[in-house]
Amino acid sequence: MSSPNTVGKKPGESVFGFVLLIFSLVVFYHAYQISGFSALSSPGSFPMAASGVMCLSACFIIVNNFKTPTDLSLSFRKTVMPLSIVVVVAFLLVFSVVLEHSGFVLAAIVFQFAMLLCFHKRNIPSALLITFGSIALIYIIFRLVFQVVLPEGIVPEREIIAWFKNLLAGG
Amino acid sequence: MADMTGYFLMAWLQPNLLLLTALGTLLGIYIGAIPGLSVTMAVSILISFTFSWDVNNALSLIVGIYMGGVYGGSRTAILLNIPGAPSAIATALDGFPLAQRGEAGNAIGLSTVMSVVGGFVGIFVLAIAAPVISEFALTFQPRDYLLMGIMGILLVGSLSAGSLAKGVFAGALGMIVGTVGLDPLTAEERFTFGITELWGGISPIAAMIGLFGVSETLSQMHHLDTVAIRQKVDNIIPSRKDVIKYLPLSIRSSLIGVVVGALPGTGGDIASLLAYDDAKRCTKDPEVPFGQGCKAGLVAPEAANNAAVGGAYIPMLTLGIPGDAVTAVIVGALFIHGLNPGPLLLIDTPHLFWFTVGNLALANCFLLLFGLTGIKLFAKIVQCPKGILIPLILLLSVVGAYAINNAVSDVWWMLAFGVFGYFMRTYGYPVGPVILGVILSRLVDDNWRRSIISSQESVPLFFAELFTSPLSVVLLAAVVLIPLSQSKLWTVLKNKITRTAS
Repeated sequence: MSSPNTVGKKPGESVFGFVLLIFSLVVFYHAYQISGFSALSSPGSFPMAASGVMCLSACFIIVNNFKTPTDLSLSFRKTVMPLSIVVVVAFLLVFSVVLEHSGFVLAAIVFQFAMLLCFHKRNIPSALLITFGSIALIYIIFRLVFQVVLPEGIVPEREIIAWFKNLLAGG
Repeated sequence: MADMTGYFLMAWLQPNLLLLTALGTLLGIYIGAIPGLSVTMAVSILISFTFSWDVNNALSLIVGIYMGGVYGGSRTAILLNIPGAPSAIATALDGFPLAQRGEAGNAIGLSTVMSVVGGFVGIFVLAIAAPVISEFALTFQPRDYLLMGIMGILLVGSLSAGSLAKGVFAGALGMIVGTVGLDPLTAEERFTFGITELWGGISPIAAMIGLFGVSETLSQMHHLDTVAIRQKVDNIIPSRKDVIKYLPLSIRSSLIGVVVGALPGTGGDIASLLAYDDAKRCTKDPEVPFGQGCKAGLVAPEAANNAAVGGAYIPMLTLGIPGDAVTAVIVGALFIHGLNPGPLLLIDTPHLFWFTVGNLALANCFLLLFGLTGIKLFAKIVQCPKGILIPLILLLSVVGAYAINNAVSDVWWMLAFGVFGYFMRTYGYPVGPVILGVILSRLVDDNWRRSIISSQESVPLFFAELFTSPLSVVLLAAVVLIPLSQSKLWTVLKNKITRTAS
């Protein structure tokens, strides 16, 4: 469901197999460092067995990859790493970096608005409307109803909520 | 008995639990129906929001989402030929041709009723079988748990992907992730690299949100511009004649579903495909051929996948071994709430078991109510553009990961697993075994060490002990046969036996 099925190998699949093998070997080395071959019940025995299975299966995967021809009709940039995915991951990275400093509300508004502009491809007013509507909904459900703690950052949320409460109490 | 009935009816009588179950079921139907949103994704994200709640409230919502989500996938399978969830793949085979014939309403109505029948069969079997299995499980040795854990990983690895090696790699990787932190028995550091923040391990919830939320959303970026084909939906209440006609088949398929669901590592997707195949073989003279809008082909998978829900709860609650990826996430939720799924759960906390059974039954009733109403609103919501949905899911994923410990480090783990999971999905590696591995890591590790210590650290003695109990022999045979059945050696052996026989 997640990825289109192709007959041949996808671009970069062999490299990914090798990356997994190298990763597995590094994990195996670190698993060995835990307690070596001291005892079968040592803390390192299970991690060594699991990383050993990773190494073996990675070797099988690489051999299978060699046997499968690459689907030449596919390109890495289109099938595996299109610009849209690079952009989304970059947005997510920036969002995660600024989340604590700027606070959830501000970071989420900018993230949502930028994502809508790039991928929903509508005019700015409609993107703004959807952004504010959805963030307000998320904030009400998760912050106010579920009481989930979200980073406040530079937005004085508590003061704003208190002001609203006072306003409602006064009214 | 009175206690049991009281616990069973708890969710039915307390308004907050009733409402949360109803809300969960309704949300589940929509989440399951919207392609790109999965039940596993929703439950993983929700766990982080509900872990400060009372356990009953959290479980009510999760049970509702699970039950509703398994059914919800059938809606888009029928209307758009896009299974909203993997368990609805078989539903699309005959459901969509029925919709093309102008019988979408009838197909949805029939699938709803049969899902509810399947759900009740699953819950009934859960209520009857779990206490028996739980009592039997008290006699299990550590080696049996070890073998069952390995069997679960192998099953999910071999069934969810074309390549067993990829499934096994994913499972082993999950187990490694599960070992990060201080060793629970000796407090020795494992894969912590001197970083004290890693002593508590990698949050499984952050890994789940990354693998099921972020990676699935990134994969959906490929289908951003897919336009859904609208179908006309009219009378949704199925005719009594149809319900009576297909009731025996639905019960038969439900039994298949509940057995497959109860096997560690297999869930509704496998159950529905097997039930579809069985219906194809046992239905003589179908009104139209299978694959062209045959109602039997719609009834069988729908009854089976909902029956598998009750089935999947059996190993989860009695052995602590998840039936599929969703139950692996639910096991994670139970751990967070301080509960320890396993044979002692029914003895120490019987109220929780009967509450879950009652809650599942309640969710099943809501399924019938919500399944047969609100179809016009449903059709509009399901067609919500992905350009709006994707940023929302990503936003919720980040918030969910942050809410686990109020720490950005969990967001980083989520992102790392999300991007890695995207590559895994793209290159055909199943992500389900990773989560199953994370959840089962502690069980396999602890039981391996217990059994090897009881065998005085001797491998020959360990293997000799495996042959002292029939259960260990059966489990060992399964562990050996699962990978063997996918190898070339098996094909050669099978051909040889067939030739000798003929």
